[in-house]
Amino acid sequence: MAILEVRNLNKRFGEFAAVRDVNLTLERGEALAIIGASGSGKTTLLRCLNFLETPDTGEIIVKGETIFDAASELRRNDSWIRKKRLHFGLVFQSFHLFPQYTALRNVTIAPELLAKGEQGFRANKAKILADIERNATEILDSVGLSDRLGHYPPELSGGQQQRVAIARALALNPDILCFDEPTSALDPELTGEVLKVIKGLRERQTTMIIVTHEMQFAREVADTILFMDEGCVVEQGPPEDVFGNPKEERTKRFLERYSQGYIESPYKLYKGTQDVLFV
Amino acid sequence: MLADVTRNLLSGFGISCQIFFGTLIFGIPLGLLVAFGSMNTWAPFKRVIKSESRFAAALRSFSPISFLVRIFIWIIRGTPLLLQLIVIFFGSAILMGHSVFERVDAAIITFSINYACYFAVIFRGGIESVPKGQQEAGLVLGMTKRQIFTHVTLLQLIKRIMPAMSNEVITLVKDTALARIIGVTEIIYYGYRYVTAEALIWPLFYTGVFFLAFNGILTLLFAYIEKRMDYIKIL
Repeated sequence: MAILEVRNLNKRFGEFAAVRDVNLTLERGEALAIIGASGSGKTTLLRCLNFLETPDTGEIIVKGETIFDAASELRRNDSWIRKKRLHFGLVFQSFHLFPQYTALRNVTIAPELLAKGEQGFRANKAKILADIERNATEILDSVGLSDRLGHYPPELSGGQQQRVAIARALALNPDILCFDEPTSALDPELTGEVLKVIKGLRERQTTMIIVTHEMQFAREVADTILFMDEGCVVEQGPPEDVFGNPKEERTKRFLERYSQGYIESPYKLYKGTQDVLFV
Repeated sequence: MLADVTRNLLSGFGISCQIFFGTLIFGIPLGLLVAFGSMNTWAPFKRVIKSESRFAAALRSFSPISFLVRIFIWIIRGTPLLLQLIVIFFGSAILMGHSVFERVDAAIITFSINYACYFAVIFRGGIESVPKGQQEAGLVLGMTKRQIFTHVTLLQLIKRIMPAMSNEVITLVKDTALARIIGVTEIIYYGYRYVTAEALIWPLFYTGVFFLAFNGILTLLFAYIEKRMDYIKIL
């Protein structure tokens, strides 16, 4: 059974149709890369999945359970949404770390707040908090930040901040990890370290949806490429097909612009390096 | 003589401090409430009216709570504090036929309401200036709106509003002197009594020393708080 099924999703902002009739399925352990020009609806689609936007029509089904159905108004209260959105993790383009907390605290805060709402928290408080902190430390270690636990976000480079943000999302154990252009706000020399982390997650069978402008990276890391244009899914398939032999005219034109170098991909800057962050 | 004057002025200064701290204790939470009220987005006509006209569109987005709160802020900020003191103290007495409040209580109530409106505008500015991404980050991490406010927004908000709040708080110290209009025996009252009763002017000048000293301490306190929050760099 597919871990995620999106049916017939539409989202308008006033007159502007941002997402049009999107259908997609995602299998457990699959990495889906969504590519397309700016304004093609990639980010809006991701935000719909994370309940940051409410779709106008459509259904979102996770693990066989309908977590969103535009046709039914039922169950759409805050606590329902809060519970169901945890199926997804979201890494933002501009990180959105909490500036008043250290890297470690950025990762532990959400699990702690969730644990406090659970029954039996008081009885095992010390143990639960210790577990959360140990888990957070391990995750930060796995993204190569074991020596930055006590640093505040402004003391970290953009790449390090984004890795903290990835760790923060991972700490809640989401079923599906979403990346919204995770390297677009970074200097070219810093994108490599973030992409390597995502690649490491891929090797550990994390189910992911990656909105990206890094074509080369998408090609290497994704099982499926989804090309969007003007809110519609234009073409979908394995990277070899979409990149190597695009069927649609729009896909061809889009990819051509990239290969002609109008849009520079910084990904190649790290291609030569050998060190791997995930061990 | 100096010791005598100092003792008298100190007792008046005690009353001034009562008004000052009372206003902060009641005014800040009230200000937060007013701030949230002014940002309320509850729109009861959102689904009722289907017409496409511009008037209907305006009515759909009309939020009565926010509207009323903003009217209230307009009235309080738009009229003199002096007048508000008189209305609350004497107005309530006229209405009821007997005095309703102790003088100091009336002063604290009026000051709290008045300052709450100024605080509210500062708070609103602070809340709105915290990037939306911070809230969204909290939301996707499964936090409730209240948790987002207390654990994500609040500290950033406090940092941002500190300079504006220091202005208000220092103004408040001096505004306490206005309570004399309803017969509160604050420090200027005592100072002025030396002018009328004993033809001495220097005790009145001396009151300024108290204000200066108190505001000096507050200035240092705010500088300290701002320094302590220096590590928070708004991203």
